[in-house]
Amino acid sequence: MDQGIYVITLVGTVLVLIAAFSSLIAFRFGAPLLLIFLGIGLAAGTDGLGLDFDNASAAYFVGSLALAVILFDSGFGTPISAFRSAAAPAVALATLGVVLTAGLVGLAAHFLTDFDWLQSFLLGATVASTDAAAVFFLLRVGNISVRERVRSTLEVESGSNDPIAIFLTLSLVALIATGAPLEPGKLAGEVALGFLQQMGIGLLAGIAGGYVIVRLVVRLNLDQGLIPIFVLALSLLVFALTGALGGSGFLAVYVAGLVAGNGQLRSPASIKRFQDGVTWLAQIIMFLVLGLFATPSQFAEIALPALLLGLFLIFIARPVAVTLCLLPFRFSRAETAFISWVGLRGAVSILLAITPLIDQLQGGRALFNIVFIIVLVSLMVQGWTVGPLARRLSMVVPPRLGPLNKVELELPGSAHHELLAYRVVPGSPVERGQRIPRWARPALVVRDGRSMTYQYAGRLMAGDHVYIFVPDRYPRLLDRLFASPAEMDPEDADFFGAFSVDPTRPAADIEAAYAPGLSDKEQAMTIAEFMRKRLGGRAEYGDRVTLGSIELIVRDVDEKGEIAAVGLSVDPPASPPRVPVFLSIGEAASRLWTMLKGRR
Amino acid sequence: MDLSDLIEVEAVVPALKANSKKQVLQLLSEKAAAVTGLSEREIFDTILQRERLGSTGVGNGIAIPHGKLPGIKEIKGVFARLDHPVEFDALDDLPVDLVFLLLAPEGAGADHLKALSRIARVLRDGDTTAKIRGTKDATAIHTFLSQAPASNAA
Repeated sequence: MDQGIYVITLVGTVLVLIAAFSSLIAFRFGAPLLLIFLGIGLAAGTDGLGLDFDNASAAYFVGSLALAVILFDSGFGTPISAFRSAAAPAVALATLGVVLTAGLVGLAAHFLTDFDWLQSFLLGATVASTDAAAVFFLLRVGNISVRERVRSTLEVESGSNDPIAIFLTLSLVALIATGAPLEPGKLAGEVALGFLQQMGIGLLAGIAGGYVIVRLVVRLNLDQGLIPIFVLALSLLVFALTGALGGSGFLAVYVAGLVAGNGQLRSPASIKRFQDGVTWLAQIIMFLVLGLFATPSQFAEIALPALLLGLFLIFIARPVAVTLCLLPFRFSRAETAFISWVGLRGAVSILLAITPLIDQLQGGRALFNIVFIIVLVSLMVQGWTVGPLARRLSMVVPPRLGPLNKVELELPGSAHHELLAYRVVPGSPVERGQRIPRWARPALVVRDGRSMTYQYAGRLMAGDHVYIFVPDRYPRLLDRLFASPAEMDPEDADFFGAFSVDPTRPAADIEAAYAPGLSDKEQAMTIAEFMRKRLGGRAEYGDRVTLGSIELIVRDVDEKGEIAAVGLSVDPPASPPRVPVFLSIGEAASRLWTMLKGRR
Repeated sequence: MDLSDLIEVEAVVPALKANSKKQVLQLLSEKAAAVTGLSEREIFDTILQRERLGSTGVGNGIAIPHGKLPGIKEIKGVFARLDHPVEFDALDDLPVDLVFLLLAPEGAGADHLKALSRIARVLRDGDTTAKIRGTKDATAIHTFLSQAPASNAA
């Protein structure tokens, strides 16, 4: 028995270590990291090195806990501003989008496999949600900064759609397991009621739990080192308690993370660091376990239908669902296409595919294998192409600031101030003589190893370290003062336009200089007002307004969301990027429409 | 990416002496008046009006003032290499020493913009600008402008 502990620990730690090492390779080659974790699990499993792990309940248990940790962290790391700007489209995607995807995939599955209707829709439900871990990883680490609204929408969607997919799957599993004859009317009522109960309780418990976490952390004088553990344990408590009360624990833990992450927590930096670490571990464990659990030698028999289903999901089901859900929200064609493409499936789908096995449903193993392959296809096809596609669809925004050298230090006892240490970099505004605003309280300057007060230091020089006390939630202004100028490569010049325009000037000036054909009413506005109007009331860094053959580009937005700098491009706008037709259902429909009209 | 159809050798000022942005624009208007036969005042007012909308300094020491004139028949350019860079309120705050003035007829529309875009691209090429900065010979500058690589024609 003693030996057992050592052997299991040995195997477990070695696997985790290999996964951690492999991340180095993944960063270098841009391969989807999660695919590698999954691969390591597969390689070590039954058909590889021969680790025989076939305990469905254990796999599901571990996976669920890991998912709770991941969801809490993804809520924790979402700023409330991002959530607000993206909440409506993201929630539409997370609810209606999930149901549509599940339905469409279910429909296809019925024809491609020999599952009956319920089983087919069960299959659809398991692959209906996007994977938070995969989406976050690709959008953040892929070294591209994607347009703000698109990124927030994708992130909030991927965090919040798991609970819906989980609910759908579990309802269907329960339905199949009881084997009762179908009464569609009664069934729909029950499902709707169950949905309201689960999500209602989940939402309330999440909000309450989040507040309790914030209050407790602020009130209790816990040891610094203990706080992150305390927060993690509380989040799992919220998860478990909500589930026990008949709510959706996954929704609760995500919402709690959102509330706690945006509350005034003590030592947020160390909590965040700890969360990052735990989330990594949770992801590694989840994918390893799921990889171990799978049996690739069984894949051959269902490979073809699974592959077709995977492609159907990527090229038809997801684009249709996304296009329909985003109709009311004024997304451009390219944005819709990009959101369709970043619908990566991941661990949650595989995890959900275990549930039929636990309940020993007929065809459970085949379903699990099919889902596994769908996820592999999605991770490979979409995971590898997100970066290039983002560039092609002009979803990438050049970085706003150049490199910045900053350390945040935590102050003992004070919840409302932070100490920031900046290194003055050459070319930054402070180095060129800009003063630091008074509210920032520059306390100390260290130059050539000697410390002096800010008042005596005079003009800051490159290489100085400046220590600044700031109230919580300091504005980005400070970062801007200390950042080196953003590198403008020629493509950026194309992106932002060669010329600059003063947004406070009247739009009539534009008409006078370039005659793009503005109406009298538009000419009476300032350029900033005019652009805001054309952009639908909200301007965002990198937004473009095309006027005949010139384009106005938002170069900067200030803290209040007002347009602060505008670029003017005289390059004839490139023909809109071509999107594969299947990705853009709207375009396909309009082409079909013109074709039909042409016939008549 | 050939600018020879926009500018003649006579319209190149190889070593302009000026102390301010305003003076640069004035001297270039004078030159443009000589090349096109239009009134210097009218040219100056037009490009000054455009500068009020935002500086035409595009960065890296380059400026491309431009405007539309009713009297002019075809798109015409004037180029100046400054002996000493002057402040131009450019985007990157760097003083400007290469200035391409472009004038277009009132109805030129798209051609005017295409010409501007071509000039911006040619002057974005580091080799070309280095060669221009290294000489005080009008013919040579004209050749460099005409032979600029068409590489980044996107």
